[in-house]
Amino acid sequence: MTGTSVRLFGAAVFAIAALYTLQADTYQITFGDVLGPSVFPIIVGIPMMILSASLVVFPTGTVDWPGRDRLWRQAAALAVFIGYVLVMEQVGFPIATAALIALVGIIMGGPPWHAVALGVVFGPGLWALFDQVLGLPLDFLGDLFG
Amino acid sequence: MKLRTLTSMKLGAALAAAMTVTAVPASATECIAPSNPGGGWDFTCRTIGRVLGELGLVEGNVQVTNMAGGVGAVAFAMVAAERPADEDLIVATSTVGVTQMAQGRYPAPLETMRYLAMLGADVGVIAVDNDSPIMTLADLTAAMAADPSALVTGGSSGAGGWDHIRLLMVADATGTEDLSAIRWVQFDGGTDAVTQMMGGQIAVVSTDMGEIAGFVESGDIRVLAALSDEPIPAFPDIPTAISQGVDVTGYNWRGLYTGGQVSDEAYNAWVERLETLYNSDNWQEAATSAGLVPIWRGGAEFEAFVRDQAAIMEQISRDIGVIQ
Amino acid sequence: MEVLSLIGSGFLVALTPLNIGLLLMGCFVGTLLGALPGLGPVNGVAVLIPLTFAFGFDPTSSLILLCAVYFGCMYGGRISSILLNIPGDEPAIMTTLDGYPMAVQGQAANALAISGVASFVGATIAVIGLSLFAPVLARAAIHFGPADYFALYILAFATIGGIAGVDPRKTLLSALIGLMLATVGIDPISGVPRYTMDNFHLYDGIQPIVALVGLFAISEILLLLEKSAKDRPKAIKVDRWMPQWSAIWPTRWAMLRGSGVGFVAGVLPGAGASLGSFMAYVFEKQKSNGKGTFGKGDPRGVAAPESGNNAAAGGALIPMLSLGVPGSGTTAVLLAMLISLNVQPGPLLFERQPDLVWGLVASLYLANIALLILNLPMIGIFTRLMMTPTWALMPVVAAVTFVGVYGISNSIFDLELMVFFGIIGYIMRKLDISLVPLVLGLLLGGDMERALRRAMSISDGDWSILIASPISITLYVLTVGFLALSVWLAVRDHKQTQAERLTEG
Repeated sequence: MTGTSVRLFGAAVFAIAALYTLQADTYQITFGDVLGPSVFPIIVGIPMMILSASLVVFPTGTVDWPGRDRLWRQAAALAVFIGYVLVMEQVGFPIATAALIALVGIIMGGPPWHAVALGVVFGPGLWALFDQVLGLPLDFLGDLFG
Repeated sequence: MKLRTLTSMKLGAALAAAMTVTAVPASATECIAPSNPGGGWDFTCRTIGRVLGELGLVEGNVQVTNMAGGVGAVAFAMVAAERPADEDLIVATSTVGVTQMAQGRYPAPLETMRYLAMLGADVGVIAVDNDSPIMTLADLTAAMAADPSALVTGGSSGAGGWDHIRLLMVADATGTEDLSAIRWVQFDGGTDAVTQMMGGQIAVVSTDMGEIAGFVESGDIRVLAALSDEPIPAFPDIPTAISQGVDVTGYNWRGLYTGGQVSDEAYNAWVERLETLYNSDNWQEAATSAGLVPIWRGGAEFEAFVRDQAAIMEQISRDIGVIQ
Repeated sequence: MEVLSLIGSGFLVALTPLNIGLLLMGCFVGTLLGALPGLGPVNGVAVLIPLTFAFGFDPTSSLILLCAVYFGCMYGGRISSILLNIPGDEPAIMTTLDGYPMAVQGQAANALAISGVASFVGATIAVIGLSLFAPVLARAAIHFGPADYFALYILAFATIGGIAGVDPRKTLLSALIGLMLATVGIDPISGVPRYTMDNFHLYDGIQPIVALVGLFAISEILLLLEKSAKDRPKAIKVDRWMPQWSAIWPTRWAMLRGSGVGFVAGVLPGAGASLGSFMAYVFEKQKSNGKGTFGKGDPRGVAAPESGNNAAAGGALIPMLSLGVPGSGTTAVLLAMLISLNVQPGPLLFERQPDLVWGLVASLYLANIALLILNLPMIGIFTRLMMTPTWALMPVVAAVTFVGVYGISNSIFDLELMVFFGIIGYIMRKLDISLVPLVLGLLLGGDMERALRRAMSISDGDWSILIASPISITLYVLTVGFLALSVWLAVRDHKQTQAERLTEG
């Protein structure tokens, strides 16, 4: 059915906006600030609830979600991103980045060996650019080896 | 095909090996300024960092990190949780930070950290626009006592912060009954508050002298009182509050703390290094030209001072009604 | 004519071999930093500050280097907006709206050239404004009070519905989500932590750059993965390598209008380059979108925001130098650097340190010319980047964004947040909800709230202060006029399409 996704999104945003607005009311202070920390969130939350409710009732546009095989690829890419974030400080920057580039490259349909080569070049390359050239310190080996 | 890939892999490995050799350790010493660039804490870190490097007291450069949020609470929480024993880390703080701690606005108590030293102090001032009908501190306090809500005041701290409290201390000492009726507006810095006052949005600014000295010299604003014991050396003509019969002082000292689990050895080494820095011409010159009065308190003496000040600040905050 | 001799003396300062060298280096590094998603002018400038200390440059040379980096970043941000649909930094978000569609249509070279020339026009107009009127403008800007800033943000968000997408409700909702996210963190006025879920990583709020790269870069990869490798174009076709003058010339008025709007936004402390480019785009669209081509690759939709953000960047130097009030994150960093070099910007800077001010002004003229010369030949190289197959380009782009974010904050939490925003961004794009308003809401929300609360503190709770000044009334009248015009245009178009349908049927 068309509009189901938009309705779901509207409902989710409505729920978040409602929680947000309710929570705003608990931010009270006693001294010296006239408007206080709670009014602006309420000013934002109420129109959010109205607009998201209107999307639930009158959704617009149709959404073409990808097929199951594509969803798997997206999930795999997300898993790589999350894995990268989790292991980066352990294995150090160049290795983690090389793996990230190689794996995402393969998931995106690149020839595996080329993707690996790309990772091997750019992992240390990016580390060199940021750490050595730009002076933003990044761990080279990480906690496991360093 | 395969051969080419292998070659590029080998190249990559060689590159990686070459880098391990040349890799310099990321600069060892770090100073966290718990604010955005531009404010007093940022100045503390950047200037101390620069002078430490110039005097060769640390290896390489001092890396300055800006970690804004919650008037220092974010950096405080981070150091408490993640780097309590990091001996290469110093964090800028000041009277403003201790005020927040005394009011329980930081996620952990004062004792969580070890306080190294103060290296100078900025003097609080109360200023009006040069077109303002208010000519003296007495004019101002009389107006506030007659109708506390008549004048709009502002400065760089939030409600209940140090800039605000200093003004309330003056009002309290001169007979204003309902302190909470005085209108206070927070701005992102002393300069912002002054320019908004020049634009006619607010009537009175209470903040540190250092940041707004340029506007005093240019004649755009008039300083009614300096909240110091003696007149400010750079501006001897500005009367102190004490000389006008109002017994209030309000310094904003600049200092540093480090994590609570740092060893005594490292702590003492830092205090020693900072004392050398304090006594250098480089620091004296940088501090004076930024409008600070150089003052030294270090080590155990400074620890005791911070505790005393927090206790006093808590009492003042309670008396004025900022905390219950 | 006094100004001319002052600028002349400035060129004498700027034209030393050291300063020219620093200028060229700054332009190049800045363009690179701006083009890398995740690194923008703020960190670009901050990264180079230790360098100026290490070499012991004097304040003038340091400022020349850092301002060249600043301007370079503003030029560079557009490149990935146009080629990858991923903004290089915050002010470049508006450039994705028409820049990327142009690239998809094979017009990448023209889009890059138009935006490059627009950057030049905007920045040059701002520098002219800086050299002629800086003190006067700074004195005018101080009359903008909290209520007036609030009115300005209301104007921005009321007109946001018109920037993209078919359903204005979705666009507005996106902006509100951004405003909601902007309230996360310790409230700077009262010190109350809001919506932090007791996680101290959230005390400082959500960094716009983290949301920006997550929303645009990660979601772009997820979108590309929807298509199987053979459906996906190997690379975007490129019709021509070099830009055509005939494509640039028709956008000249859009550039000039964008520069004007952006410059005004830049001079006002607190508005900044993002608001400058946004307002420039909105006004240009309202003025020129007769045929409904905006958002589908209209060259004027590239010219206006690019001239706007560069003019705003230049304009923001005015309050920084002549009042000591930073108008944006980058100028705050520049201010910090000047103070630590014992230069106090403020009302006396122009009198006391004319060498520094006029040397800087002269260098900015030179930097603009250098950047234009540097950027035009690079168009060919950047356009060839489009030939790189997606499987090779996008993973590297993803890695760059991760490193950029991590290198600045050293926070794994920020990276997790970035992936989370990637998923949100993907869902929103699938539902045809523009991401641009969300980022603008996040960028401007904090200032908007503080302006409102300051106004209410001044009036002691009397809401009528919001419409008490001539400036705010003017801005509200503009807002209403703008909305009325949009409604009228929508109704007219609707009638027209119906009429066409009738004649066709």
